[in-house]
Amino acid sequence: MADVVLKDMVKAYGRHLAVRGIDLEIPDKSLVVFVGPSGCGKSTTLRMIAGLESISHGELRIGGKLANDMPSRDRGVAMVFQTYALYPHMTVRDNLSFSLKLARMPKPEIAERVAKAVTVLELEPYLDRKPSELSGGQRQRVAMGRAIVREPEVFLFDEPLSNLDAKLRNQMRVEIKRLQQKLGVTTIYVTHDQVEAMTLADKIVVMKDGEIAQAGTTLDVFENPRSKFVGGFIGSPQMSFFDGKLTQADGDWFFESEALRLPVNAKRYGDALKPGRAVWGGLRSEDIVPAGHGLQPTNHVAIEGVVTLAEMLGNENLLFGTFGSSQFVSRMQQPRLVQQDEQMSFHINVDRLHLFDKETELNLDLESQQKDQSEELDQ
Amino acid sequence: MTVALDTLDFDAIARRERRLQQSKWWTLAVAFLISLIWLIPFYYLAISVFKTQQEYAAKAPLALPDGLWPIVGNAVEAWTQAKMGFGMLNSAFYGLVGAGLAVFFAAMAAYGLTRLDFRRKNLWFMVIFAGTVFPFQMYLIPLFFFYQDWGILNTHFGMILFYTAICIPFPTLVLKNFMNGLSREMDEAARMDGASEFTVFLRIILPNAWGPMTATFLLQFTWIWNDLLFSTVLGNRPETRSIMNALQVFQGSYASAGPNIVLTAALIASLPSIILFFVLRRHFMEGMRVTSL
Repeated sequence: MADVVLKDMVKAYGRHLAVRGIDLEIPDKSLVVFVGPSGCGKSTTLRMIAGLESISHGELRIGGKLANDMPSRDRGVAMVFQTYALYPHMTVRDNLSFSLKLARMPKPEIAERVAKAVTVLELEPYLDRKPSELSGGQRQRVAMGRAIVREPEVFLFDEPLSNLDAKLRNQMRVEIKRLQQKLGVTTIYVTHDQVEAMTLADKIVVMKDGEIAQAGTTLDVFENPRSKFVGGFIGSPQMSFFDGKLTQADGDWFFESEALRLPVNAKRYGDALKPGRAVWGGLRSEDIVPAGHGLQPTNHVAIEGVVTLAEMLGNENLLFGTFGSSQFVSRMQQPRLVQQDEQMSFHINVDRLHLFDKETELNLDLESQQKDQSEELDQ
Repeated sequence: MTVALDTLDFDAIARRERRLQQSKWWTLAVAFLISLIWLIPFYYLAISVFKTQQEYAAKAPLALPDGLWPIVGNAVEAWTQAKMGFGMLNSAFYGLVGAGLAVFFAAMAAYGLTRLDFRRKNLWFMVIFAGTVFPFQMYLIPLFFFYQDWGILNTHFGMILFYTAICIPFPTLVLKNFMNGLSREMDEAARMDGASEFTVFLRIILPNAWGPMTATFLLQFTWIWNDLLFSTVLGNRPETRSIMNALQVFQGSYASAGPNIVLTAALIASLPSIILFFVLRRHFMEGMRVTSL
């Protein structure tokens, strides 16, 4: 068992920087998910940890030991690949025992370890089959088995579920989580699917352009997005953004856009509030509540909007609409049939309005938090 | 509206659809005619090997033989006159070792070209492949003098050296394309499993490249087996003489054997290639499929 520490990790391909300095501590036995759009450097970071890519700069420590120049096999890491990467010419049994044979482990011990993994993953009936004779889910399990038999200190998963159909993916997701908890192995999991990230992770690391955009617990990242990007990337459907500015009237602060005028929680944003400051206002779909449907927010402002498209999901509707010319998505609990171009009243939960600077796109509350901290230091 | 399925005549539908797929009679006739022309030389070979010398001289070339027994005499005659046993052994040695080594080296080169990280990969590949761009005859005279200088003219070593070298480029091309298509994640997985570079090559890549390797091996073996020019020039002593070279005793102004003997010898000489093809045909067809040769 081991913790993993990344310090200033950089990956450069010539002049191109794929990873621009990652600082991260992954505690022992935890499950950390790297999530981000394609090209954000999440897979590259994982491959550096795996030893499949060299580390251009910075430090990688696994269980306290510097691992930068260690060959992959000495790092105590095992990886599950997106394409499973099973050896097509070997049976399931040989696939599982390949690494142990290479390590010259005695035969009875190999058999024992393989048997253990096979029991955990329920692969007994398939031991003598070739990968081509297995279904997608079974191949996936063999790939995990190949990682398990090595009894690694760290599991690495590189988008392991993206080749499965939706139903199987949900099932395997639960299975991976259960397995990780059962084995108690430090796990790093890469995905571009934010739902997968949120359901699996003890800690989510949102990446963008080779940097960490935000790292924290699922709830933390969801409730307090550090930037407009994180707000938009985490949560489904996407957060709706409104282009506007801050105004002050009678000592109260307001976010004003073309069609909205929402009171701002001055306590949360503190000194960051300046009259006329250009900001993005962000609202999640569940904070734009169709009047009369589902739980109504206590502190709300009612706005008239037009629904341009309704996605009927059965248990709820997603309403795509406009306030004036700005678009939004609303989540309708206890759904009813909604007509196109229907005019509706929406209750906006003003306590959950997120404000991001127009230029830097960072959450305004970061500025006030920094203030708080510096004040604390002064005292 | 529901279709009354039980009222449909499915036999008639099947007939109509089959008729649409069937070709016209005259296309079949033309195809048949072309096949016939194509098959005449084989027919000529097939009947001539069953004729004695007198029978061959007396009858029209395409007439049927009187019996089957003369083939034994023809075969013994051909075998002893051309010292075919010796030639066969030599050619089998050249073919198996030469093509085998060539395909193995080509596989290593292909692995390097697709998996190892070094500069100017394409240039190196072009250097290897350039060998087959020019007509092979071009190498003949320089090779002859070079072999003479180095004292490897008329040696088994010299022959193997040449055949191996000349047979490397084409399998390299085929195997490089094939290995390009093999999942990188597979060898990354093996490397993480603790495999060294050579283990990845030997135990992961090679077993998966068996199909195209067999296919190229067969093609190269056949080329070596059928080669006359180079074996004549580089190995014309009896002890290094190849089978094709051995058949040359039937040619020229002093040759006395009739066409029935010559054809029997040719038939015997082509048997090993054919047998090898049938033995390996499953791998060969697999290889053809993956390499789409």
